[in-house]
Amino acid sequence: MKQMNLTRRKLLKMGMLSVCGTMIPLSALEIFKPEALATTLDHPYSQKKRWAFVVDTTKCVGCGMCVKACKLENEIPFDAEVTRTWIERYVLTNKGDVLIDSPHGDRYGYTKNDPEGHDLTDAETLKGFFVPKLCNHCEKPSCVQVCPVGATYKTDDGVVLVDRTWCIGCGYCITNCPYFARFFHPVYNTAEKCTFCYHRISKGLKSACVDACAFGVRKIGMLHDPDSEVFKIITTQRTMVLKPEYGNEPHVFYLGLDHIVR
Amino acid sequence: MNHAWRPLILIVALLVVLLTVRWFLVPSDFMAKNGDYKYQWHRVGSEKFWRDEFTVKHKGREFCKQCHEDKIELVADSGHARVQCENCHVMFNPEKKGHPVDLKADFGYLLDIGIDRSRELCKRCHSKLPYRPKEFTSLTKGVKPFKMIDPQEHNPGEECVDCHDVHRTGFK
Repeated sequence: MKQMNLTRRKLLKMGMLSVCGTMIPLSALEIFKPEALATTLDHPYSQKKRWAFVVDTTKCVGCGMCVKACKLENEIPFDAEVTRTWIERYVLTNKGDVLIDSPHGDRYGYTKNDPEGHDLTDAETLKGFFVPKLCNHCEKPSCVQVCPVGATYKTDDGVVLVDRTWCIGCGYCITNCPYFARFFHPVYNTAEKCTFCYHRISKGLKSACVDACAFGVRKIGMLHDPDSEVFKIITTQRTMVLKPEYGNEPHVFYLGLDHIVR
Repeated sequence: MNHAWRPLILIVALLVVLLTVRWFLVPSDFMAKNGDYKYQWHRVGSEKFWRDEFTVKHKGREFCKQCHEDKIELVADSGHARVQCENCHVMFNPEKKGHPVDLKADFGYLLDIGIDRSRELCKRCHSKLPYRPKEFTSLTKGVKPFKMIDPQEHNPGEECVDCHDVHRTGFK
């Protein structure tokens, strides 16, 4: 039998080393890659050729012109109670109640201080604001992941679309969107959603809702384009996204959100 | 033939049927773009539909300018400079639509244009709500106070356009 060269000291040393080695996760080594380092130094959005949206809620008056323009531009029957974009109203009363409503998705505008049907006086209203909502065109869209037939997808520039000829109408995507941005189209009976007006933005126009907003609430632009207003706002101001806890990486960035927004 | 081979023939036959049916049903451009089965598994032709085939309907001021240059200039100099013509003049209620020129036939313009003189239209922006922003920041001229009225107190029953010139944002 051959003599073993392994001493007790050597065995313990190697044992400790392998224990320490296995404790380092692979992700810890990531930081030593130059490209990984570069992404932490560069602006994270500078390389992403991708559409993004900014909503400045501090400017929104809730006129609903965006909703009207969207419905007509995108052939969503006007009187149907479905819409690709809508405006929610949040009101905090002096009794401490948070009232949230969006009558008809705000396609006729807010003209009275009557959240959820309660007629409020100015004194009873502590604070209130409007939050325009639309599809967040997530980087990891959970609606796309669950489509069993490949009828919904993300384009190379980050827009999430639905193939009407391929959709079977199972509704998985509608239930899986954390932002309730999807619905059934009343005419085609397929899943329907905001496209960022892909037919307009690809031609150099702005989305219909962006064009219709007289108050400069809504902005659309390319994330990697330093001249776009979206890039400027995201890189210089404090923006927030809705429901980041879902991990969808939404790409509609909000200014002036409040903790009562959900 | 060995009895063990018979099920195999059945399996192969089923596979052939499946692949043949698939060949006819699945479009040739259905694929996982960039190898991404998670988010880009789709019919590539559908992108073309949304990008090129879907029609642009709101054409903006430039379209209206072809005939209404005077009005466009008037509005551009007013407090309504940022308001698109189409915001007020595109009708969702068909009884109010009407335009002297058939825009659809002559210009390929697909929306219904008309004039809505109702208070409801003006109230969408100008009715007083305690949580509406007090300042209007969109004008190039600078920040202005945003004009809001209480529709219950401000000449109820009258039409706004009886006194107000909406294109000039002044009194008539």
